[in-house]
Amino acid sequence: MQEIILQTKKITKRYRKFCALKQADMTVYKGDIYGLIGRNGAGKTTMMKIVTGLTNQTEGEYSIFGKSGKSAESEKRRIGCLIENPAFFGGLTAYQNLKYYCYQKGITDLKQIDNVLSLVNLSDVKNKKFRKFSLGMKQRLGIAFALLDSPDLVILDEPINGLDPIGISELRKTFHKLNKENNITFMISSHILSELYAVANRFLFIDKGKVLKEVTKQELDLECSRCLVVRTNDTKKTAMLIESKLGIEDYKVINNDEIRIYDESAKPDVINKMLICENVEISGIYESGVSLEDYFKQLIGEEN
Amino acid sequence: MINMMKADLYRMSKSKGILFFWLFTIFTYSISIISKSYGGITLEGMYDLPENIKTDIGQLTMNSTFYFLLIMPVFGVITSEFGEHTLKNTISSSVSKRLYFMSKFLFSLLYSTVSFALANYIYYAVNRLVNGSEYSSVLKDFTKAFLTQLPIFIAVISIFSMFAFLLRKGAIYNAVTISAPIVCTMISQLMMSINTEKEFLKKIRDFGIKSVSYGVETMSARIIFDTSDDYRSNCYIICIMVIVFSFLLGYFSFSKRELD
Repeated sequence: MQEIILQTKKITKRYRKFCALKQADMTVYKGDIYGLIGRNGAGKTTMMKIVTGLTNQTEGEYSIFGKSGKSAESEKRRIGCLIENPAFFGGLTAYQNLKYYCYQKGITDLKQIDNVLSLVNLSDVKNKKFRKFSLGMKQRLGIAFALLDSPDLVILDEPINGLDPIGISELRKTFHKLNKENNITFMISSHILSELYAVANRFLFIDKGKVLKEVTKQELDLECSRCLVVRTNDTKKTAMLIESKLGIEDYKVINNDEIRIYDESAKPDVINKMLICENVEISGIYESGVSLEDYFKQLIGEEN
Repeated sequence: MINMMKADLYRMSKSKGILFFWLFTIFTYSISIISKSYGGITLEGMYDLPENIKTDIGQLTMNSTFYFLLIMPVFGVITSEFGEHTLKNTISSSVSKRLYFMSKFLFSLLYSTVSFALANYIYYAVNRLVNGSEYSSVLKDFTKAFLTQLPIFIAVISIFSMFAFLLRKGAIYNAVTISAPIVCTMISQLMMSINTEKEFLKKIRDFGIKSVSYGVETMSARIIFDTSDDYRSNCYIICIMVIVFSFLLGYFSFSKRELD
């Protein structure tokens, strides 16, 4: 059984009359690269702020590394964070800023500063003042800060904002490397679906403070891949018939009235004819294949 | 907490903001040493100084100048964190809000007090070196006078720290801390100007008259020479109350409010 690193149960956050999060459940396992997907204002940052102690939830509870409530405070040292915009002291250089946090976290080996700066390609500008940094450089310093204390869980809020395409690609490799080699669990939020898809292995779709769906990458691939959708009132009989009569095994019963066939050789007219002959009522048969964006739109649409 | 203070000390050593504190202190003290007389920024004070006091003790009575100078270290330690939004880095991955507040409050007290003490003793040493014993008192007397006065400035630094946590924005913090003594003086004078026979209003007027004796300038000057137990103990009680009140109000304000 996989170790649970972070779990929220029915987390709700209200700012006076505005509800930023509604009964949100989420589970992050050890070794996950967990993607939080949602539009601006969906509640991603609020969720991250709650689990990092920057704000308190109105209702619900969460546990980090198996500890909840006050005892979760002691686990903070195992978390590295970049929440919202990267914030550092403008008058200090990148190196001095990280040195400040090294002292604060009790990190005695200052070589760690050079290590994390080289991970995010900031070694050359380590003596440049933070206020003179470009947005992308600030973002990378924020990521370096999150990795400074060799954390077990890294929480990054929109980490690729302001990065150029090469920077994004390099960062993606860094995340994968740290995840595989150092067994660091990541929780990354973004509204850029394609980027998150390229890096994460589990996803949480969130909109208007409500969790829409939590899926693995395999499940997401399955839901988004090209397929033949058969809508019928008898999925059990349909499944049995397409398997026995047509020899199709690559299919999935989605719900009470939908079957998806992923076998590329499946022909809609053949299936239609066969099901009619077998007296199965069909309300629709069509090809489907949605992009991530369309899938997300669908999810939002279903909720609305 | 020690780690946080160590980090803050490192940051303050790199900060240029504190330079103004030292530049202004050196400027004021240089004039005092060269002219062999004491001076500085005065607030509205009501006190009489004994005649023939040594320059260094006289300069201690002018320490209300530090009311304005001590705004700076507290600004550097606390307000800059709100301004740069860096406190989220600390609270999200190092310490709790409670520990953060305590560490910052304590560090700003320590850092400002040490700066204040250092400035006074540097002045004492240079004055003694340049002007000799004719214009300076013995170290023991100077230390006694300095320590007598010190709790007042610890209370002042506590108020500043409370304002820093309460107001958060640098501009508002500066505006409030700079204008506070002026506003307090205006209120006192307004109360003192009440001319009526009504009992309730007379009490307000009496309170106004009494409150002038406990302003920063009056207290910091008078407490050195006024050896009456009543006055000194009243001053210390006020200081303790101010420190406790500032700590509690600052803490509750910080812990209850959302971080930006």
